[in-house]
Amino acid sequence: MPFALLKYGLSADYPVEVDLPPPCDLKPRYDVVIIGGGGHGVAIAYYLAKYHGITNVAVLEKAYLGGGNTARNTAVIRSNYLTSEGVRFYAESVRMFQNLSNEFDFNIMYSERGQLTLAHTDATVRAFRQRAEVNRHFGGRTEMIDRQQIRELVPSLNLDPGHLPVLAGLWHIDGATARHDAVAWGYAKQAAKRGVEIHHLTEVQDLLIRNGRIEAVKTNRGTVQCGCVVQAVAGASSLLMAKAGIRAPIHTYPLQAMVTQPFKPFLDPLVSSSALHCYVQQTSRGEIVFGGGSDPYPLYNTRSTLDLKESLLAHAIEMFPFMANAKLMRQWAGITDMTPDYSPIMGLSPVHNYYLDAGWGTWGFKATPICGKTMAELVASGGKVPELIAPFALERFSRFQQVNEMGATAASH
Amino acid sequence: MKILTCPLNGPRNISEFTYGGEFRHMPDPANCSDAEWADYVFNSDNLAGVVTEWWLHNASSYWFLAERHTVSDQVLRTFDPKELFDRRVDFTPAATPEIAG
Amino acid sequence: MNSHTRLPAPMGLLIDRERPLHFQFDGQACQGFAGDSIASALLGSGRWLLSRSFKYHRPRGPLSMAGQDANTLVQLPDEPNVLADLEAARDGLVVEGQNFNGSLAHDRDAYLGKFSRFMPVGFYYRSFYKPKGMWKVWEPLIRKKAGLGVLDLGFRPQYYDKAYLFVDLAVIGAGPAGLRAALDAANAGAKVLLIEQQPVLGGSLTYARFDIAGTRATGLRQELLAAVEGHPNIQVLLEATCNGWFTDNYLPVIQHKRLYKVRASRCLVAAGAFDQPVVFRNNDLPGVMLTSAAQRLMKLYAVKPGQRAVILTGHDDGYLAALDLQEQGVAVAAVVDMRAAPADAAMAAELKRRDIPVHLGSTVYEALHEAGMRHVSGVDIRPITGQGKVGPHGLRLACDLLCMSAGYMPVYQLLCQAGGKLAYDVNRDEFAISNLPAGLDIAGSVNGRHALGNVLADATRGAADALAALGLEAPVQPVFSAEAKVNFPWPIFPHPKGKDFVDFDEDLQVRDIVNATRSGYRDVQLVKRFSTVGMGPSQGRHSALPTARLVAHATGRSISETGVTTARPPFQAEKLAHVAGRAFDPYRQTPMHRRHLEAGAKMMPAGLWQRPAYYGKPEERERCMQEEARHVREKVGLIDVSTLGGLDVRGPDAAELLERLYTFGFAKLAIGRTRYALMTNEHGVVIDDGVCARLGEQHFYVTATTSGVDRIYQQMLKWNAQWRLDVDVTNVTAALAAVNLAGPLSRQVLAKVCDDVDLSAEAFRYLGVRQGNVAGIAARILRVGFVGELGYEVHVPARHAERLWDALMQAGAGLGIRPFGVETQRLLRLEKGHVIISQDTDGMTHPAEIDMQWAMGRKKPFFVGKRSIEILEAQPLKRKLVGFTLPKGSPQPLEGHLVLDGADISGNVTSCEYSQTLGQIIGLAYAGAHQAKPGMHIPIRVEGGKIVQAQVVKLPFYDPENIRQEV
Repeated sequence: MPFALLKYGLSADYPVEVDLPPPCDLKPRYDVVIIGGGGHGVAIAYYLAKYHGITNVAVLEKAYLGGGNTARNTAVIRSNYLTSEGVRFYAESVRMFQNLSNEFDFNIMYSERGQLTLAHTDATVRAFRQRAEVNRHFGGRTEMIDRQQIRELVPSLNLDPGHLPVLAGLWHIDGATARHDAVAWGYAKQAAKRGVEIHHLTEVQDLLIRNGRIEAVKTNRGTVQCGCVVQAVAGASSLLMAKAGIRAPIHTYPLQAMVTQPFKPFLDPLVSSSALHCYVQQTSRGEIVFGGGSDPYPLYNTRSTLDLKESLLAHAIEMFPFMANAKLMRQWAGITDMTPDYSPIMGLSPVHNYYLDAGWGTWGFKATPICGKTMAELVASGGKVPELIAPFALERFSRFQQVNEMGATAASH
Repeated sequence: MKILTCPLNGPRNISEFTYGGEFRHMPDPANCSDAEWADYVFNSDNLAGVVTEWWLHNASSYWFLAERHTVSDQVLRTFDPKELFDRRVDFTPAATPEIAG
Repeated sequence: MNSHTRLPAPMGLLIDRERPLHFQFDGQACQGFAGDSIASALLGSGRWLLSRSFKYHRPRGPLSMAGQDANTLVQLPDEPNVLADLEAARDGLVVEGQNFNGSLAHDRDAYLGKFSRFMPVGFYYRSFYKPKGMWKVWEPLIRKKAGLGVLDLGFRPQYYDKAYLFVDLAVIGAGPAGLRAALDAANAGAKVLLIEQQPVLGGSLTYARFDIAGTRATGLRQELLAAVEGHPNIQVLLEATCNGWFTDNYLPVIQHKRLYKVRASRCLVAAGAFDQPVVFRNNDLPGVMLTSAAQRLMKLYAVKPGQRAVILTGHDDGYLAALDLQEQGVAVAAVVDMRAAPADAAMAAELKRRDIPVHLGSTVYEALHEAGMRHVSGVDIRPITGQGKVGPHGLRLACDLLCMSAGYMPVYQLLCQAGGKLAYDVNRDEFAISNLPAGLDIAGSVNGRHALGNVLADATRGAADALAALGLEAPVQPVFSAEAKVNFPWPIFPHPKGKDFVDFDEDLQVRDIVNATRSGYRDVQLVKRFSTVGMGPSQGRHSALPTARLVAHATGRSISETGVTTARPPFQAEKLAHVAGRAFDPYRQTPMHRRHLEAGAKMMPAGLWQRPAYYGKPEERERCMQEEARHVREKVGLIDVSTLGGLDVRGPDAAELLERLYTFGFAKLAIGRTRYALMTNEHGVVIDDGVCARLGEQHFYVTATTSGVDRIYQQMLKWNAQWRLDVDVTNVTAALAAVNLAGPLSRQVLAKVCDDVDLSAEAFRYLGVRQGNVAGIAARILRVGFVGELGYEVHVPARHAERLWDALMQAGAGLGIRPFGVETQRLLRLEKGHVIISQDTDGMTHPAEIDMQWAMGRKKPFFVGKRSIEILEAQPLKRKLVGFTLPKGSPQPLEGHLVLDGADISGNVTSCEYSQTLGQIIGLAYAGAHQAKPGMHIPIRVEGGKIVQAQVVKLPFYDPENIRQEV
């Protein structure tokens, strides 16, 4: 029984619960400045405040809380990646997600539906088997299933689209979805309760570095001194790094998605096809969300295109022919920072006390909790890199030591 | 859908083209440092502004360069690579020291 | 009076009274006429309850009668969420309501409305998750309540297609502005496409009233239509919706079952403005509708919207509507004007003359109803005492129709999709659009012009600008006159008992919006996401304006600063069938495809191609493969390798280009010889391999993988655009077909059909290449060793492929020739330990990991990847690809199973088969470099979690001296 709601009905003028505090002025100095008020930025602030007692923190967000890729997310939570480094990392994040609503007392409507990825070629079956094995090795629940089992899981799926029949499936029981905005709000609310300041409409214009060390951050509302800085600005990572003279292997591409009107529930699992470059899921509101591959050329713009929509929906109808009669309500796009190995960039930078949380491409939302936790550890320890994120160091590229997740990302997100 | 003007074929739908990457100068592979080489291989400017980049017209297999603004997506000009590459490029081995005398 | 009787002509522009029709709604028989929408036919039959609202399940009837709201969503047998006020009524149609528990009339979920106090905005974020695990219990129940219609899972798509149109000027909207602009442009010589959503031209001229006499609209419409219809430069699309704006005026226009993709040099949007509701308690009752909706009902469908009407208005159009209603026999109990006075004094005089009471400076504070809330029964009128405030006492009037209009919101969606910005003009209390890209313009009420004279002048201005850009002669720029405001600044009257809806789709009241800001969601984007305002099917058409006003007020910012949420395509919900069109799913077949089918091949996809996997039924796969393999080892087999990439590289710099693209050296390759060609990318990662054959001093023929060749071809051209070498590269993959004739008897078979090439072992050694005639066809013949037997690859022009196949099969008939497929070939090459790119290599594999250092031409000054390889080789090797064996009968690892190193993963199996020839299980796997020495054992975890210890062996498994292929 949702007793929490009684207080709303039984009082004449019910108490409005303040989730996000009203705006305030910038202080002259903070121990930690987090640039970027998306899911990652506020998650880092939360773990700093709650688990490390570090509260003299400011999150600087140039627009509104969670207004970047967090807002535009298709919210697929999974850990069925390919590399040991990746799976270990994402599996921990999935475990944290499972308890997140209770962790920060805000319902993120975490919905464990299972994620089914379809294999249409031998090569894909091979790759899926490896991913299932790696995922299980690190405690995840993933298995290969055959056509009959797929039919039972998703009776409405067409197993013979075009000339590429479905051969098998990668069934990741841990796969889930959640209300992406609520993840940012939940973290922000609790961080703010503990004294973290979240500043909206506050854009960082310059980074003041002296002797290879970050000293202050200049914003449109004034300059603040800082003990250290974390940048968590998906879609603008290179631009901000450039202000610090840091070069990175990031190419920024739009990623489009679209959603139909809501229907009564008929699809539980999140279904994805690599060959058809398409994935489909039905939200808790009943809408069907479609996503596909990245745009074909780099662009810092969230415009939608017709040709991507045409090919994406044509493939969606191959998978679910009856969806021809569903109506599309809206298309949008996020701006993703892609890396050569489809793994993130986390940890130290060449500038002292300037920490990086970047290169999140299409794999950022699912890592929100583990990112918050590990980056907070990094900051709190004064720059000691936690083992879980050591493989994602920026300098891995200078050593040609990539963590290649390309096969496990495309059209799965 | 966006129109891109191919220097050879004229204005065509952008779906007829393939993006070919940022235009970069390759450092001398025989004589640059490991760090310079890794920077060339991996790092990118990734600017929000006017960039020079490679494009391929698929049907005619014609490569050309474009100057495009990566925020507004406006293409300022497209041109044949021979504007920038007007002579044969040769690779010399790593320099060996002259022996005196 | 019989409520089924329609109003007399000239009412009913769209209906044909000679063609009645009958259909069912909610299990009851209904009637209408051809031309009716489902909604107009229902209202014409006296049925006003069309749906139940999303959250509180309140009864709903039409609001806009123009497909702009979600109150009319109904379920057709094969389609949910259909807008009843747009969908044509059809004889025999069976229509159901949506989103109710029980029946539309008696919805058991209506009680939810009483509990609205317990469901404040965002309530679901604050509950349903404690104690831990509770959300798993609640979620399925809540999901069941979500959603509107039901998708028929058995539905199969019908025929939908696409077409292209190219025009000088696309005019969107055929109201007075669109018609005028189209005419002006067409008269000056422009090719014009006029796009109109309704079945007839005219827009507001078909339903609105512009003068007291009531004749202006009809007269103007007739005049414009006479000129437009049949105009040689104007193509008209009726019942067509322009559903988005994409870069460079690329417009998707949906009409019936077709998606037009229109490329317009210039585009003029004359789509009009949305009539805006007033916010007050119970503003959602059936019978409460926009003023324009009532006018549409009368003029388009001849339906009398009620017996007794009250009109709530913020502009003079409400007065004109009163005249329309009274002339059609509706008693007008009052015009309630929120303003202190009408703009045109003549309006007041006319209403007085007709005995229609006017209440100035007043508003409807509450719409009244009887038990059941099925229809509005009266209004509570109060004087306005301040912004959103009313006096304590009012006047109650009975009515069964309440028309409301607070003003207009431009149809901004297409324009904001294009980058247009909305700025709020505080003098006119209207949003205005600016910052449009070049080539896109607006005219008419979408551009803030509402007086008909100004609308027409604006259209001429828009046409003139477009013509000038097109280089055509433009008409003289028109003159505009002053016009009155049409928007009331604050048409929002919150009620302590709520149900004062800002968003009808989502059942959001004034307090919901305000409380969202008080919870800290101050940006309008956050208000949207937290409260879901504007996220329903009508996507903010009626909620954006009041939301902007409320949020601005609550957060102390200007309405311009607050803004509205981002407009995104599609403009109107569009069927996936329209966007997808006809399925077009091409794949490639080799020229010998028919022969494979005739021979009983099991075909498999290989990239975009179809290739034979083996020749037999799926249930006989294992047996077929082993037999085909044995046949190749003992006799002779034939495989179609036409899909392999082929590149002809010619010119003085041909060798130089290959030296730079591939790791190996080719400058010194002798004519008539071939060499293995390995390619790495700039990261030093192995990306392709093939064979390079030197046919002449300046002529090489290079093969590549099936899926890699196109990319390699493009990369060669890209490099050479920079290097300017004197070389020509041609992709001859599709021009040539090829087979691999392999086995100890292959020489004998080939000799029967080839007599101009000396095939003897001494004359044509292993790795040689010859050009000659095979079965009378000009051919390139390469001696290759991929499967480890004596073998010849024969490449011929594709049009002779079947003849070649037939000739070889016939020549080999006496020797037992047998075709073999890709899967068999995989086994054969595995026995020789040959890697398959992208099966045994991945996105990180560099040459040292696969023992390919012998294929590096280190003395070359440059090849793509050289420097990166050197950097990688300077580091300790982490993993290596090794050959392993397991005894027959052991659990067989599958490709993808992991190689372990203690508790860690050190590698994975990339290839694994049972080899009948060797009597063992053989495979290739990555393992830790320290595990990789022949003789060591590597633990592989197989199905069921069992661990087998595989023995690492030297490659190749079969014929280690390579004697058989070099014979």
